[in-house]
Amino acid sequence: MRRPRFQTASYIPRMLSIHAACAVAVIVATVVVPPISADTRPGPTVAREDTMRVEVSEVLVRAPRVTLDEILDRVARGEARRESLIVDQQFTATVRLVRGVGSTSHAPEILSERVMRVYKKQPNLARTVVLREYERGRHRGDADVQVSFGASMDEEIVNFAFRPEARRDFRYRIVGRDFVGGHLIYRIEFEPKTPLDRTQPSGLVWVDTNEFVIVRQEVKFARSPVPLFIKDIERMVIERRKYGEHWVLSRAMIRIASSVPLPKLGKGFDFSLIFDDYVMNAGLDDALFRAGQRP
Amino acid sequence: MALLACGLAASTPANASDPASAAPDSTLDGFLDQLADSTSQYFGVTAAPADTAGLDSALAYGLAHPHAPRARLRPSFNPDFSFNRVDGPVYTLGARLGRASEVGELRAGASYASGPNDVLWQAHWTKLFGGEDGPWRFSAGGGLETETLDREPPNMWLVAASAFLIGNDSQHYLRREGFGCELQRELSSARLGIRYRDMDESPIATSAGWNLFHRPLSPYDNLPAFRGRARELEYAANLRVDPLPIEAEAIYQTSGHGIGSDFEYRRTRVAASGNLGVGPWATLVPQVLYGRLTGQAVPQASFFLGGPNSLRSLPSGARGGTDYTLARIELIGADDVLETLHIPHPAFLPLQLGAFAGAGAVWGEDPFGGPTRSGGAWPDASHWVSEAGVSVIYQPGIPNPTSLVRLHCAWPLGPGGGPARFSLSFSPAMDFLRKLR
Repeated sequence: MRRPRFQTASYIPRMLSIHAACAVAVIVATVVVPPISADTRPGPTVAREDTMRVEVSEVLVRAPRVTLDEILDRVARGEARRESLIVDQQFTATVRLVRGVGSTSHAPEILSERVMRVYKKQPNLARTVVLREYERGRHRGDADVQVSFGASMDEEIVNFAFRPEARRDFRYRIVGRDFVGGHLIYRIEFEPKTPLDRTQPSGLVWVDTNEFVIVRQEVKFARSPVPLFIKDIERMVIERRKYGEHWVLSRAMIRIASSVPLPKLGKGFDFSLIFDDYVMNAGLDDALFRAGQRP
Repeated sequence: MALLACGLAASTPANASDPASAAPDSTLDGFLDQLADSTSQYFGVTAAPADTAGLDSALAYGLAHPHAPRARLRPSFNPDFSFNRVDGPVYTLGARLGRASEVGELRAGASYASGPNDVLWQAHWTKLFGGEDGPWRFSAGGGLETETLDREPPNMWLVAASAFLIGNDSQHYLRREGFGCELQRELSSARLGIRYRDMDESPIATSAGWNLFHRPLSPYDNLPAFRGRARELEYAANLRVDPLPIEAEAIYQTSGHGIGSDFEYRRTRVAASGNLGVGPWATLVPQVLYGRLTGQAVPQASFFLGGPNSLRSLPSGARGGTDYTLARIELIGADDVLETLHIPHPAFLPLQLGAFAGAGAVWGEDPFGGPTRSGGAWPDASHWVSEAGVSVIYQPGIPNPTSLVRLHCAWPLGPGGGPARFSLSFSPAMDFLRKLR
């Protein structure tokens, strides 16, 4: 038998009403039935009101629930739509490497920082203007952190596990729903179907079902992807913010504990990418990009 | 100045869609801010916004004075050392210049083979089209090189180490001199490739009968290749069989008088590998392979059975033939067994365990000159060899995420089974796939 299909227009109001009813019930119960004080000291006490009873009858939800597969399809489409809506983009990117993380002897210290203004335009134009560079104790000829920006508006670091081609590699599970303002936020966990490729992480994403875009992601690695150098990836967080109509990458941060003390970095370090001052679809002139290209 | 004006105009939110001008969704923003705040607290200085002082003037200057990126023309050099019984110690100086995604990458090297006192060389130019991860890859190159008769050899670094230390050089070699070119196309779930090569192929004799620990060479003689000019076309395809966790590969190589080759053969090799998770604890890797050589039974196009990437209970290249089949199923544990057993060990040395069973056969004309092994599309039952074994595994994560260093102990199964055989391998978990680069 064919399952009834998810209809946003009818489903969301029903969800709203159910959640609203529950919320009202909780608020009423909180106001009317204050918590019992454990304070037994002499003095004024709050009387316990036990003459009023509030009961919320059970509601049988008949509305068809959206299936996980449908959510995943919609996320893939939502991400593709998000990308297609951005014709050009400019933002300030800060790339930062911090050492001494987790050390008891000294405080974390910025080892290198590079601030750039990035201009991108579909389909293949990109330009980066370096605004500031800092590297502690850098000597001529030392290798530095290289970050390059392509023209694509695709944020693979955010949606790698939710692309159509990734569906065969990951297992997904809905772990919660949060109703925030007019937004139903799904929390979806993903994990690799096989532990063979240690670079495939597991994680948790927050999906705003108004547009079916990923708004936040926490990534975990069950085992070190490169045990020769990395002992553990303690935490990795990827955040998005909404600029006007567009959800864009806001921060990506990772904390790494190394297997052996690494030159300059020590045993623990952080790496972050911070993006702000976005301007979208401002109609960037192609001349802006020609100036930064190789003759 | 026009450019500066253009850049500054671009940096000014003309039809601004910044958060301030858009209608804020304060509840959702508040929810995300709450999560972001705890993240900022965790990461501390790493998560702090950049100091914006001076950035506007730096941007104005940067836009007015465009700094075009320069091509990386400084070469990098890498010396290398290898060893085999036909060349003896081989001292190489390699150099790399340029980037494949820009003007192309040139790799060249010159070697001195101290056994036969020959100078060998190679040069390859590779260009990616369509950016850093461009879908098209073209490479062309040539050289005078020593290569293995087995077209799917195990890790050559381990072969060289074994030959140098204890004289156990399991491969057979030939010389190739000429050029070739290759075009590859990467699709979302497939890679396709076509290659042409035009090379003089010649046999080479053993010239280094020594090793570091003065052990007798095993084997001493080098199987001679057929001498002649090989012009060969290769078609290759590697594809993911979505939605199944299977990768398949087909390679077809053809050489004939029609394209000016001295050899007339068709070589087909088809392989498939699976990658099935057994919960988060282990991975099951079933693999199958089938190969067939028709036409002239050229030793340098034959198939070889035995070795860590083939049947592990046999020495590398122990048997050869014009037809080849192999199947193996392997269970690769994911957890660090030393940690499970509470054995103290350094963090960079997690060890895993694995177990495998396999069966395979070669039949048809024997490149070693032995009697032809009977069989048609499949071998006669007497030619099958079966085995089972266990492995201790180290997964370094480089150069490939699924590259494994494995120490195997394999037992031959069935009648005539011999003692257990130990071997060391360094290869991807799905080692039946040759994989296009």
